[in-house]
Amino acid sequence: MSVMKKNIISKVLLLSFLLPLSVKAYTQEKTKISPYIQLQYFKDTEDQRVLQTTLSYSKDRMELPLPGMEISFFKGGVTRELISRITTNNKGIARIELGKDLKLPVDRDGMWAFSSEYMGNDTIEAGKSEITIKDVRLEMALTETDSIKTISLKAFIKQNGIIKPVPGEVVKIYVPRMFSLLPIGEVTLDETGTGTLEFPSDLPGDKEGNLTIITKFEENQVFGNVERKVIQKWGVPTEYSVPSSHRALWTKTPPMWMIITLSVLLAGVWGHYLFAIISLIIIRIDAKREAAKGKYKIQK
Amino acid sequence: MEADKKLIKDLTPEIEKTSLKWYITFFIFFAFFAAGIYGLILQIDKGHIVTGMRDNVVWGFYIVNFIFFMGLSYSGALISGVMHLFHTGWRKPVIRMAELITVISLVIGPFFIFFCIGRLDRLYFLFIHPRIQSPITWDVIAICTDLIGCFLYLYLSFIEDFAILRDYADLNVAPWKRKLYKALSLGYSGTERQQKILSNAKTIMAAMIIAIAIIVYSVLAWIFGVTLQPGWHSTIFGPYFVIAAVFSGTGLLIILMWIFRKVYHLEEYITKRHFVNVGVLLTVIAAFYGYFTFSDYLTKWYGSIKMDSILIDKLFSDYYSLFIFANYIGILLPCIIIAFPKFRTIPNITIAAVIAITALWVNRYIIVIPTLETPFLPIQDTRIDWIKYTPTWIEWSLTIAGVSVFAMLFMLISKIAPIISISEMQEKDKNEILK
Repeated sequence: MSVMKKNIISKVLLLSFLLPLSVKAYTQEKTKISPYIQLQYFKDTEDQRVLQTTLSYSKDRMELPLPGMEISFFKGGVTRELISRITTNNKGIARIELGKDLKLPVDRDGMWAFSSEYMGNDTIEAGKSEITIKDVRLEMALTETDSIKTISLKAFIKQNGIIKPVPGEVVKIYVPRMFSLLPIGEVTLDETGTGTLEFPSDLPGDKEGNLTIITKFEENQVFGNVERKVIQKWGVPTEYSVPSSHRALWTKTPPMWMIITLSVLLAGVWGHYLFAIISLIIIRIDAKREAAKGKYKIQK
Repeated sequence: MEADKKLIKDLTPEIEKTSLKWYITFFIFFAFFAAGIYGLILQIDKGHIVTGMRDNVVWGFYIVNFIFFMGLSYSGALISGVMHLFHTGWRKPVIRMAELITVISLVIGPFFIFFCIGRLDRLYFLFIHPRIQSPITWDVIAICTDLIGCFLYLYLSFIEDFAILRDYADLNVAPWKRKLYKALSLGYSGTERQQKILSNAKTIMAAMIIAIAIIVYSVLAWIFGVTLQPGWHSTIFGPYFVIAAVFSGTGLLIILMWIFRKVYHLEEYITKRHFVNVGVLLTVIAAFYGYFTFSDYLTKWYGSIKMDSILIDKLFSDYYSLFIFANYIGILLPCIIIAFPKFRTIPNITIAAVIAITALWVNRYIIVIPTLETPFLPIQDTRIDWIKYTPTWIEWSLTIAGVSVFAMLFMLISKIAPIISISEMQEKDKNEILK
């Protein structure tokens, strides 16, 4: 084989080896995940503030979480300061509680700036999310007059030591049920930052009639998620316990007829099996006896 | 125990030597089986996303195959049990095949449930946390009970043949096979007392497996019937499933008769009379099956419950060809072929059986899938490829693997035991049978 031919063959072989590698590298580059990163602010009824970042990506038109990724939380807008780094959980969520003594820089509009950032890796691109929050105080008062239950809401902000109402904002009211929050209604605050809602009287509560009433700014562009929660005896007292002796399809104890039917059927069937097995044993014993007498012979 | 040498030689074609044809056929089936195993490994590795099953259609090919194989099993039990109990004269060459269909299908069927379960590691929960109220628990108890009963019945029917093979000195087989025959025959020597005990046990078990087959397949039908799903919530599903099972089992019996007759040259034993008799049985069952099918759909259509109407519209649009094939062609064509004496040839009856069994499988498909594609409330994702079920190659491969395992087990059993019962054939009325 000439040297030229050998060279061509070796080049073809080399190319055929490199081509799949290069295609693979190209494919990997092309399939790098673009994550969605969302930063949210929460303030609960105890005035505990929480920053939460959700890191996810879209696959096959479904949103899937990205667990085990390190998220950096920052405070401040132009000049950022790292608060902490948190790893996302199985749901792709990283949460950090902001201590009450944590000093937060305020911009000239009286807003806090926060950001969270994912630095990316070989397979996932980097991502960043920013929010600005104005600290709002939400207050709830519950009154009952002539059997009419009323929720009174008030929301305000403090700016340069001056209290200012937040007119036009929407506050939603919920009551937790078994699986999710039951919406009761929503109130749009007036120019004094207040609003009222008549609360229904027919909601089932616990056995003493207690209900948890939640009012909240939900995904508000200025205030984030701010919630106020109160437990009040405004529900209809309801006894949920099921008598333990009750037999039904949905209880732990099956109906008696079902147990009896199944037992009779199984006993009948297995009794017959037992008969067949005993027959086999008798055949075996009888065969041994016959063999001892030398009664059966091998056919030639 | 003594037996006619010719009879033994004729009915144990693969016991002494293995033909090249046997190896080739076995290898082909094994290749399909291996492909199925590869598909299964992929499914375990990547999860059920590799199948066509999604949020709405959570039961696909696997459950269809499960019902189908379980139906074959129960029909085998019913046919062999009834033939034994009523001492049907012509039963003898075919009864063993019916018994084997019972056990082999019963072994294969439950595997499709395992393929369908997402968390196989939790399977034992069924046994440690059973709820008697759950039809799934009934089914687990029923299948386990049935499996043991059918094995016992099959074994009882084999004892005399094992004794014949044990005592036949000219049989040129490996020493381990002789030892096996000796152990499995339990020392049976055919004394009057032993014959009587064995006959009683067989009769009791034959009656028992008929009852079990009916109950167990009804339980399987009730898994569907007790739900409120459109198309499933039906009071006649129990007997309907039982009739459908016998329909498919009779069809399979004819196909197996044809294959064994052809491959092992058993023309002397499996005659046209057997084909015609089983064929007539197929026709009668087809008529009952057609009646049940018509009753079920008629009441649903006339009732005009919204979801039932949507389902029936779907069956007559998206599933039109399958519906017509399963419920018209699959029932009427076998009837026409067998009902006219002019058409009653062995190949024609076999073709009718193939049509019947294929139609029955399709019938199972259109019972399971369209109902799941018609949910009361759509679940989360409503993209079309999630609502509409399309089986993937993995589901196809495991389905073909199931059929291959069925064939392989039949072939392996033919290497150890007679495919037609020698003891039955050598009874007094042998001449009558062979007429």
